[in-house]
Amino acid sequence: MATLGTTLILVAFVVAAAAFAVGVAGGRRRSASLIAGAVGLSHVLTGLMLILTAIIVYSFVVGDYSIKYVNSYSDSSMPLFFKLTSYWGGLDGSLMFWVTLLAIFASVAIQINRERHRLLIPWVVAVISVTQMFFLFLMVIHNNPFETHLLSTPADGRGLNPLLQNFYMIIHPPMLYLGFVGMTIPFAFGLAALITGQLDDSWLRAVRRWTMTSWLFLSLGLALGGLWAYEELGWGGYWGWDPVENAGLLPWFTATAFLHSVMVQERRGMLKVWNISLVIMTFFLTIFGTFMTRSGIVQSVHAFGEDRELAWMFTIFMIVILTVSFGLVIWRMPLLRARNELDSWASREAAFLANNWILLFSAFFVLFATMFPTISEALRGERLTVGPPFFDKWMLPIGLTLLLLAGIGPLLAWRKTAMSSMGHQLMWPVLSGLTVLGIVMALGVNFWAAGLCFGLCGFVFGTIMQEFWRGSGVRQRATGTDRFTAVIGLFARSRRRYAGYIVHLGIVLIFFGFAGNGFKLEEQINLEPGQQVAIGDYVVTYDALKVTDDGQKQMITGHTTVTKNGKPMGGMYPARWFFRDREDEPTTEVAIRRGFAEDLYIVLAAYEVETQRATFEVTVNPLINWLWFGFGILSMGTILSLLPERSMAFATAKVPEAAVTTGLMLLLMVGLAPHAHAQHVENSQVVLLVPRSPVEKKLRDEIVCMCGTCGRKRVGECTCGTAEAMRTEISELVAAGKSYDEVVDYYVKKYGSQEVLAAPIDKGFNRLAWFLPYAVGLVGIIVVGGVAVRWTRKTTDVPVVAPVQTAARQEREARLDDELRDLD
Amino acid sequence: MVWVLIVNTSTRPAMSKKTVRVSLSAMVILSALTFLMYTSISEGAEYYKYVDEVMAEPEKWEGKRLRVHGYVLGDPLVNPRTLEYRFTVQANGKTVNATYRGVVPDTFKKDAEVVLKGTLTPDGIVVEPDGIMAKCPSRYEADALPAAVR
Repeated sequence: MATLGTTLILVAFVVAAAAFAVGVAGGRRRSASLIAGAVGLSHVLTGLMLILTAIIVYSFVVGDYSIKYVNSYSDSSMPLFFKLTSYWGGLDGSLMFWVTLLAIFASVAIQINRERHRLLIPWVVAVISVTQMFFLFLMVIHNNPFETHLLSTPADGRGLNPLLQNFYMIIHPPMLYLGFVGMTIPFAFGLAALITGQLDDSWLRAVRRWTMTSWLFLSLGLALGGLWAYEELGWGGYWGWDPVENAGLLPWFTATAFLHSVMVQERRGMLKVWNISLVIMTFFLTIFGTFMTRSGIVQSVHAFGEDRELAWMFTIFMIVILTVSFGLVIWRMPLLRARNELDSWASREAAFLANNWILLFSAFFVLFATMFPTISEALRGERLTVGPPFFDKWMLPIGLTLLLLAGIGPLLAWRKTAMSSMGHQLMWPVLSGLTVLGIVMALGVNFWAAGLCFGLCGFVFGTIMQEFWRGSGVRQRATGTDRFTAVIGLFARSRRRYAGYIVHLGIVLIFFGFAGNGFKLEEQINLEPGQQVAIGDYVVTYDALKVTDDGQKQMITGHTTVTKNGKPMGGMYPARWFFRDREDEPTTEVAIRRGFAEDLYIVLAAYEVETQRATFEVTVNPLINWLWFGFGILSMGTILSLLPERSMAFATAKVPEAAVTTGLMLLLMVGLAPHAHAQHVENSQVVLLVPRSPVEKKLRDEIVCMCGTCGRKRVGECTCGTAEAMRTEISELVAAGKSYDEVVDYYVKKYGSQEVLAAPIDKGFNRLAWFLPYAVGLVGIIVVGGVAVRWTRKTTDVPVVAPVQTAARQEREARLDDELRDLD
Repeated sequence: MVWVLIVNTSTRPAMSKKTVRVSLSAMVILSALTFLMYTSISEGAEYYKYVDEVMAEPEKWEGKRLRVHGYVLGDPLVNPRTLEYRFTVQANGKTVNATYRGVVPDTFKKDAEVVLKGTLTPDGIVVEPDGIMAKCPSRYEADALPAAVR
């Protein structure tokens, strides 16, 4: 298998080289058959990469430990799932995963744009092939994942560190890779446009979606990295300005800048050089980020090792990228002349420009500070580093300025904003900002920086709401529908604009979460069983230290009970786990009690088993969940903006308004229902003991947890404290000789109803309860189906049956467009 | 370089007054920021040294903010009640004692590769709160681990 893999990597390299050569030839001669050949070759490469992926995954699954890579990152005791994801567990596999993703992205992008951008395609293939060649080259000579042990084959692998065996570590790297890899496609189209001189806006349209998709993955990757740090590492924070984290942030800044400035080019024909430079820089920064973290040029918590050879290869590749790309830009300068000039600083384009400068400065600053040790070593011969306080000091005002711009930008008109309309536009947002500022200041929050951050959040929120209110008002008057349908209609007509506001809403929530960081409370204390610690509104009582073992690991758990303002909140169980064969690498298991206002975060820092004393670090993290929630909203907004035009067409179709509104409300309610139970307290330390008799097992399946917040999970499945107590009770009752019916009766009496049962007892009136969900489901299907039929019929019928109506509608829509434009 | 290119986008063949104004202000702002960055960085900067570099002339580094890179020698001593840690760090044959109070990362243990943030005193390094960085259990650099750890 290993030999096959190594051979196929060589074949893949040759195919990539051929795709490059054929692409260049096809592009120069404009020969249709050569171009088709280049496209074919890039699809062949995708096929090869998929086969290579299959081979390495197979090796992991069957445990072929003669392959060094498989040996280093897995062992036979690992669950299948972790074996599969060990593929991207190390550098060598990551490189291959990277090329595979790039090949897939390239195939898709080429297939989509083959007809529309016929002239660009051969060059796109060529540029992508060069990138693939670079990474395949690295794999061939330096990081071959199929390298085998020369002498003896180990019987088992070394396994994966337990800290990495969790959900976030599986999903976080691929997300970041997708974001990084995706940025290659816009770069390839940009270079193709430069080479061919097809520098009208059509290449921009081809890449906008790709950039946005990659940007989404990058954002999710960053958020998941933060979540992992917060939940697994136990230091109570989520971002530490580590070089590896910064590497992900750098292209995020430039891509965000591009997504804004691209609008200026589409709308006003300005900033052409700027946009192409941003695309080039974003791609460059993805490569640079990889270089920075993998070559050991910058010391990081994640990567200490130095690798001179790798560093040199990356450096050469980066120099090539920069010289060729910016060389092309300078060569094509005459074609990149702007169609318009900046008319006024009080204009939308000026706001975009300011936003771009600040984002670019952020990238520059983070790059500078991250590279500072290397820079200072080169300049002064002394390695100097800067810590998080330095980053915070600079990024705080930068972030707040960006937030301010997010509130001002949408209020300004393109070209020039009349001073008279400024007051009208600014009044409500400013009022909303000042109100929030006033409230938080009255609550005793300092103006700098938390108060200002809250105030700006209020300001931007006001802007977004005003935009939706006014836009939907215009639509409502023009189309005569209700307000709700009008809002949906806004998305249908200017999807990008209003989806963009949703993304801004996510950003507001993220900043809201950031602001909470200033009110963090921390307490470190050594307790004896029975002693308490008070922090904020909470009192944490330490009950006992328990040592348990589940066969895979030994768990030392500090049992604590928490009250908030005197009200009992249940138990929390911070722990340390010692995995088999890795006893010297205990993992900290943080106990987190999540809430909208704040998280209570308890870490078991140290303990003495003999005396039962334990040291805890207790942290209250205000507003932190708004950060994750903000990322969720941001993703939703981006996805909304990525949806094809057609998907919103129903909202502009003429249907009885009430039907649409009700339909959507129902959809929303269905969508929101699961979130209503968000208060359930996870307790990963609960040990699910095996039921001792069939009766007990049956009872566990049929009685639900009564904690009231977990959404009626079965007692046998729920992991909260209440369920644990109920399980103990059940097993005591069964042990006392009670029959199944007696236990059920006991619970029905105890809770006064059959609420405690997962399913009602199948008798008489109760049958209705069985039937009802099915009936509701059936009705729902009929209603949705009926509405769908109506919508499709109306949209096809209207132009045929009622030409007069169509004319009227066209006129109305033209008027609406005008009014919307005025608002712009 | 990019900055100049950008500014040029809005130019007509002859440089308009506006362009000059824009490029001038951009340059002023950028140089002011760079100056601010440079001056403020010296306040926050720490010297990044390996243990042997520091211990070659310890007097020279006393009182300065340092990041010291090395390997934990032997098991760290901890008082579980006060979370006070005492341990020794070595690199290239030289050692230095260190004291710390607080929660340590999971990967902080015997032989671990660490970077300590703190100041040097005659008794050793006094690590500041949250000042221990232990090498992340990297999925990436298994081969970079010293043989002693395996």
